Amino acid sequence: MTISELYASIDGDYEQAKRVLRMDRLIDKHIRRFKSAGVGEQIVAAGRAMDAQALFESAHAMKGVCGNLGLVKLAAAANEITEEFRPGHARTMSDDEVREMIAGVETLYRNAIEGIERYEAQA
Amino acid sequence: MIQSKQIRKSQLVLVVDDMEINRDVLGIILEDQYEVIFAADGEEALQKIYQYQHCLSVVLLDLIMPKMNGFEVLEHIRNDDSLQYLPVIVLTAEKSAELRALQMGAADFITKPFDVHEVILARVARIIELSEGRQLISAAEHDKLTMLYTRNFFFEYANRIQHFQQARMDAVVLNIEQFHSVNALNGYEFGDEVLRTLGDEIRAFLQETDGIASRFEADRFDIYCAHQGDYQAMLNRFQNALNKLSHKSSIRLRMGVCLWAEGVDPVLMFDQANAACSKVRGDYMRHLMVYDEQLREHELLDQRLLNDLQRAVDERQLQVYYQPKYDVTGERPRLSSAEALIRWNHPELGMIPPGTFIPLFESNGQIGVIDKFVWNEAARQLSEWHARYDIDLSVSVNLSRVDLFDPVLESTLSSLVESNGLEHMNLKLEVTESAYTENSDYVIETVNRLRDMGFEIEMDDFGSGYSSLNMLSAMPIDVLKMDMKFIRNIEHSEKDLRLAELVLDIARYLKVPVVAEGVETEGQLQLLRDAGCDIIQGYFFSPPLPADKFEELIKRELNRA
Repeated sequence: MTISELYASIDGDYEQAKRVLRMDRLIDKHIRRFKSAGVGEQIVAAGRAMDAQALFESAHAMKGVCGNLGLVKLAAAANEITEEFRPGHARTMSDDEVREMIAGVETLYRNAIEGIERYEAQA
Repeated sequence: MIQSKQIRKSQLVLVVDDMEINRDVLGIILEDQYEVIFAADGEEALQKIYQYQHCLSVVLLDLIMPKMNGFEVLEHIRNDDSLQYLPVIVLTAEKSAELRALQMGAADFITKPFDVHEVILARVARIIELSEGRQLISAAEHDKLTMLYTRNFFFEYANRIQHFQQARMDAVVLNIEQFHSVNALNGYEFGDEVLRTLGDEIRAFLQETDGIASRFEADRFDIYCAHQGDYQAMLNRFQNALNKLSHKSSIRLRMGVCLWAEGVDPVLMFDQANAACSKVRGDYMRHLMVYDEQLREHELLDQRLLNDLQRAVDERQLQVYYQPKYDVTGERPRLSSAEALIRWNHPELGMIPPGTFIPLFESNGQIGVIDKFVWNEAARQLSEWHARYDIDLSVSVNLSRVDLFDPVLESTLSSLVESNGLEHMNLKLEVTESAYTENSDYVIETVNRLRDMGFEIEMDDFGSGYSSLNMLSAMPIDVLKMDMKFIRNIEHSEKDLRLAELVLDIARYLKVPVVAEGVETEGQLQLLRDAGCDIIQGYFFSPPLPADKFEELIKRELNRA
């Protein structure tokens, strides 16, 4: 599996990753690291506890990494959570709506991780 | 700005981001053109900022980070004056954060994700360029030691104040008396401390009154300020600040003031304040002078004399007078020599006293022009008298300190003597005692060479300087000329008579004859003769005479003989 095939399989934007990281070598490095960084697990854990500060920080971290890696759907979902829990901002969603959104993030995240695992196995 | 890649590479960029991927991306973007270092959180960022403080060109700072966030880093930078010129570009995806960061002093922002590399590079380059330009302007604007304005910026701002605010400001010049001695005695570090202290006090003063100040040069400070009712109090304030600095060193300030006048621009005002300040140089009784009409006239006269000097030489407005010296060792005084003295008969100003122009030309180094005129004229005249009267007469001429540092002095004097058919010993050279005080080894060497050539050296104004007896024995001299202030009161003051006798004793110890100048009465003559003085010069025998009158004196002396 090539790196661009990986992106196609996880609904990522390879061109965006290429624009940011320029080299497949670096995309490869950081996509592998994404799997081990645990940003998805952190956001899920923060959602279970409904810890606003932890949700903001983990969603912010996910948004940054995914934005650079071209994981655009994850980045967009993480952005919504970031803005919802940004310190000083008024909440607009109920906790249930947040949980629903985190569940969506978790699905996207698992899908991405499984794709990366396949990529690692076939690379 | 034209800048090569090679030069840019020497610029250092700190990238601060907790996410490795962001550090990697920015590293890729920047590494071709800059040296890049990284920090993963705010604490590490501050540690690296201080470590590389003097070579960092810009910081790229993420805002949301663990341990210490980007806003806290910005706050820290804003509160530390030493970091005031360090530009920070924040890395953010949030519009609200951009505004807050800019309000906290960030120079610019870069939005995430970092997908358009060229824009990031262009922003970093522009911010570095702006920051370096700002630093250059600030460095040129302020004196590093005192943080006062530098001269050019000071006058630019003073002009603006005058033209746009039409404020009535006075010009004040402060100077440290003998600052080179303060440095020499206490070291340059202490000298810098003195300048810093004065700068601090001037800045404190300007917090209480309208004005600006500059360290004009070395130990000169210019202050353009609202009129002060009591300038002595202002001077006392600055003097007190220096007095507190150290008890081991006495540092004395002097001050010149030029009061505001309609239509006078700041540059001229400071010239005049400086002239007033210079006027009290070395005056231990007076440390403050306000520029006034009298000083203005004096300055104008000085300037006119400086301008007219060369014309005076060319048109022979300068004239050499001769004052006879009499040998009084025998029963009857005998004309032995003469001193050549300069007079200036100005076509418009009339006869100008030498006391008016000689100190002026000594202070600006042009005295050499006058000296050479006198040497030439005296040698030519003496040669004529020798030929005409076949007499054993010598003439003494002055050698100023500046002449002693003339590299062609020896050849000039030698060819002068030879071209006029004289012996070297016919031209006696008068060197003042004070000429030996600075760089004495060099002066002594030069004078020794002149003696070896056959010139006789008279030490002029002996007793007015500060020669130690030890140094006196090392000075190459053939004749001592006693300073006339010893002579003036010897008839009425026992103390002065004893001092004159002491000078004569010193001369005996050195085995050199003594010339007493300024002798005006028979009483003075008698006392000096009784004390063993050899040669007398002064109005008692004759005032300085123009050449034709002196020639008549020669004839009379020859007839008497």
